Amino acid sequence: MNAGGWIFMLISLGLVWGTTIWAYCRLLGAPPEKPDE
Amino acid sequence: MIPYICALLFLALPIGWAEWAMARYGGEKGFHSGPAIMGMVGRGRIARYLGVLAILIPMVVYMYYVYIEAWCLRYAWEYLIGGVTLTGSIEEKVLGAAVFFGQTTGTDTNGVLNMSSVFWLIVVALNIVLVYRGLSGGIEKFCQFALPAMAILAVIVLIRVLTLGTPDPTHPDQNVLNGLGYLWNPDFSKLSDFDTWLAAAGQIFFSLSVGFGVILNYASYLKKKDDIALSGFTASATNELFEVGFGGLITITAAFVFLGASGVGGGFGLGFQTLPVVFEQMGAAGRWIGFAWFFLLFLAAITSSISMLQPVKAFFEEALGISSGQAIAWVSVICGFGSLWVIWFSKNMVALDVMDFWVGTFCIFLLATVQIICFGWVWGVKKGMAEIDQGALMRIPRVFVFIMKYVAPVYLLVVLGGFTYFNLGQKATEVSQNPVALWTVMIIAAVIALLVVLVAIGERRWRAAGMDLDGKRGEGD
Repeated sequence: MNAGGWIFMLISLGLVWGTTIWAYCRLLGAPPEKPDE
Repeated sequence: MIPYICALLFLALPIGWAEWAMARYGGEKGFHSGPAIMGMVGRGRIARYLGVLAILIPMVVYMYYVYIEAWCLRYAWEYLIGGVTLTGSIEEKVLGAAVFFGQTTGTDTNGVLNMSSVFWLIVVALNIVLVYRGLSGGIEKFCQFALPAMAILAVIVLIRVLTLGTPDPTHPDQNVLNGLGYLWNPDFSKLSDFDTWLAAAGQIFFSLSVGFGVILNYASYLKKKDDIALSGFTASATNELFEVGFGGLITITAAFVFLGASGVGGGFGLGFQTLPVVFEQMGAAGRWIGFAWFFLLFLAAITSSISMLQPVKAFFEEALGISSGQAIAWVSVICGFGSLWVIWFSKNMVALDVMDFWVGTFCIFLLATVQIICFGWVWGVKKGMAEIDQGALMRIPRVFVFIMKYVAPVYLLVVLGGFTYFNLGQKATEVSQNPVALWTVMIIAAVIALLVVLVAIGERRWRAAGMDLDGKRGEGD
């Protein structure tokens, strides 16, 4: 694997892991759903 | 990977949000099927009939998807009873895995209802029962357990793949580093091929179910206060984690190590042909990891196939005014015949490949184009964004307004135009030279014709019921 491949892989995997963890933290930290009126 | 990442950022994510928004809006007006929602958002008959794609895609993809599901179940069963034994050198094990795959899927010859047909029957019956009983709660509970289990298994398998080194000393080039390089090294020469851009977008649309017709149905049951922005984003991020972080890294690296560069483009069979060799390299535990892997894959696949049947069922109910049970019966019979066609003409997977390319890639691309044009240019991107913002748990960066209005439609139209000009002729020739491929295209055309008739019937019913099927009454909102 060349240098471009390493950079591309590390950025892509970092983004994928980072955004997934961020999204779940946001979702789990959201206020609980209000019951239907 | 470059076209794939571009497709994710500029197409799948914004079009996914647009689809969620259009569906929730349509649902509020009493529509739950793709053609009806597209007709309302697209303000008329043209969009409504183009919305037929939103039913065609899940219907035809289901026809071959259940067969792949049956492979998963068969592999899990074989691992459970110890039926997968690969011995000898690495080369012999790879050959053994290929032979086993051929026997399981019937890729050697047409017209043989092989052993997997039994598993196919089980899978089809399960799908029908689960859709009939309606099991949204069940799917939720299943995912709570299955997603972490699948992630743990994937980490174990990934570690094994990344530590394979150079398993076959007679092929020193086929090592893990070169496998990773095959996947990640930027190859700018491929960027001029429209087929690559179409395939990358098709792949990501398929795995995110964007431009598929499924979100159009499911999101139509959401309420105004429900979040669609963060939910859509989380679904995309999780999918990418599994597809890029696990699936691609495991399958493509392992395929390169065992099959070489020429074997990586093996399509559907890739994971089925290479992972058994990986499991074999895990010693005695490999058998049980193999069983768990394919069984979880089967369970994950069945949630997908149920999600494909659901929008088709909803459309039959909505268009014909029939009961849920009657709709399932009709859909099961039509899809069952299509699926049998795929099984019967299994040699070299011609029928499956034709359906997968023309419907599972090309039509998805086409529907995504129709959807984003309706969202950005007919319904109006401002109105659409306001819909997304309702109940949102995250604020979508406003750059996506520009992307949805200009970048995504231009991107799709350029790739579609380029593909049509440079590649369509060759693809059409390939179909015309193979009778099975030609008949498969005829079957797809017959399904389209049937769906067009159903939309025409539905149109009359909706109009008679006084529904806002052209979306004219919402203009003052």
